Amino acid sequence: MRRRLPGLGLRYLLAVPLAAAFLFPFYWMLVLSLSRRDAILSFPPNLWPQWQLQNYVEVWRFVNWPGLFANTVVTTAGRVVLVLVTSTLAGYAFASMRFAGKAAAFGLVLAVYMVPTEVTLVPNYITLSRLGWLDTYQVQFVPLAASVFGIFLMRQYFLTLPKDLWEAAQLDGCGHLRYLWSIAAPLARPALVTIALLQFIEGWNAFLWPLIVTATDRVRPLQVGLAAFSFTDSTRPELLAAGAFMTTLPILVVFLIAQRQLVGGIASTGIRG
Amino acid sequence: MDPSTPLTRSPVISRRASRPFGRSSLGGYAFLAPAFVVLLAFLLIPAVWVFGLSLFRWDLIANNPTYVGLANFERLLLRDDLWWQAVRQTVYYTAVSVPAGMALGLLLALLLDTRLPGRHLLRGAVFAPYVTPFVATIVIWIWIFNPDYGVLNAALGALHLPRPGWTHSPDWIMPSIIIYGVWQHTGLNLVIYLAGLANIPAELQEAARVDGAGPWRVFWRITWPLLSPTTYFLLFINLIGSFKVVVPVYVFTGNTGGADHAAETIGFYLYQQAFAFFHAGYAGAISVAFFVIILAVTGIQMRFSARRVFYT
Repeated sequence: MRRRLPGLGLRYLLAVPLAAAFLFPFYWMLVLSLSRRDAILSFPPNLWPQWQLQNYVEVWRFVNWPGLFANTVVTTAGRVVLVLVTSTLAGYAFASMRFAGKAAAFGLVLAVYMVPTEVTLVPNYITLSRLGWLDTYQVQFVPLAASVFGIFLMRQYFLTLPKDLWEAAQLDGCGHLRYLWSIAAPLARPALVTIALLQFIEGWNAFLWPLIVTATDRVRPLQVGLAAFSFTDSTRPELLAAGAFMTTLPILVVFLIAQRQLVGGIASTGIRG
Repeated sequence: MDPSTPLTRSPVISRRASRPFGRSSLGGYAFLAPAFVVLLAFLLIPAVWVFGLSLFRWDLIANNPTYVGLANFERLLLRDDLWWQAVRQTVYYTAVSVPAGMALGLLLALLLDTRLPGRHLLRGAVFAPYVTPFVATIVIWIWIFNPDYGVLNAALGALHLPRPGWTHSPDWIMPSIIIYGVWQHTGLNLVIYLAGLANIPAELQEAARVDGAGPWRVFWRITWPLLSPTTYFLLFINLIGSFKVVVPVYVFTGNTGGADHAAETIGFYLYQQAFAFFHAGYAGAISVAFFVIILAVTGIQMRFSARRVFYT
């Protein structure tokens, strides 16, 4: 039997209010989104909402939410799928294939790791505008379709697979691609799920890059639309909060379902994506 | 075929050893190609090209690049007060938010020990801000900070404390963004400190306790020194992350940088020069300066961690 934790009461006394402080803005998002406008513009503020559910109806008149949702789903899905494919192939090559110049190629990936994406904003903007890709779906995820962290993680995972597996598959006439597709990749599912989760979060929350390379609501994602709404209709905080809650909900749901996997993935790298 | 492969090898060994060369060398590159095309085209080549870009006067609208040599750097480093203001404010943001977020993360990690009942719920509460979108949470924080109707000033008023103008005041806009940054980022420090704590053998702390050391001494003599690799790692990623801060400045100030540019950071200044004023060449020079700062931080971190890595 383990000893009881020392200072249990004191721990709760400190940790619970702190955790509550971190949760408060989410509670406040919900309260504002369900408040009457005049109740928000009163002092001191009401800590309890008036259950003004029509805010969630009214906010649809101002912003084309289905369009923004669809754009976000398309660009996020594109990003998740492409990163999974590029990470799996490159991670497998580094872990299980032997070819001339592999060490140099891996060094190149490490060098890329040092590049802050901010310094590439201007050159990439110029390249993509010359390609005629501005204000499209693909400009929002093709430049982000490879992840150094994804390659590292897949490589680590493939390195743990027993060599006999590949040798047995080879004796059955299996090539690298078929072995990867039907044996190695399915075994690496935990790593794939971690990458997919991190890329989903990055994609769903994407803001700065789409802000720069998109111009119209036709292709814009949710967060860019929400920011535009907040700049033009800042006098309607209750509607803004309703919009904010709608765009955050998918992230919160994924977070509640996959908290442990997500935290593990982020803790192992210290970065998102 | 690898020329060094002896012809007299046993069939089993030669099958294993020779196959990877020759034909399948191409295979390796075919597998790398999709990732490498993206990494080269959108990260490595642009990172090199930006140095060239910084030598031009280049208006993104007119698209008429003119070679100007080092004129952009001369202007940036010698005559641009706004740049130096952005540097000072970025240092200010970093100097406050990084220690505050790390200390809070460590405190929470120590409180939310692996055996505390309900720890997952409490950890989740602290971590949630890190994965939720910037814009959606900032628009709520803008109302929390509202000087007239905000819940923060209501609480301060109830405690008979001064009620600052927060995001509406040039003096308080930066502290507002720092508070948001700490709220947003502490969860990352928490989970990485928890991982660091889990690596410390419990017997060490138990032994010290048996020898009569109080919790304060156990922490400073055992836990804190053994956590130093974690602390260095966190310091590094926090420094880099806070030097890059852009989006909170953009959203909190409504894309203005604040009254008197009071909230402008290096990242925001770069964004503004490139995509509000369309000065691509000048933004390239800012990118180069920014790149040099980040590489310097990385270099310092690598020297330190090389010295401290023995703990892990």
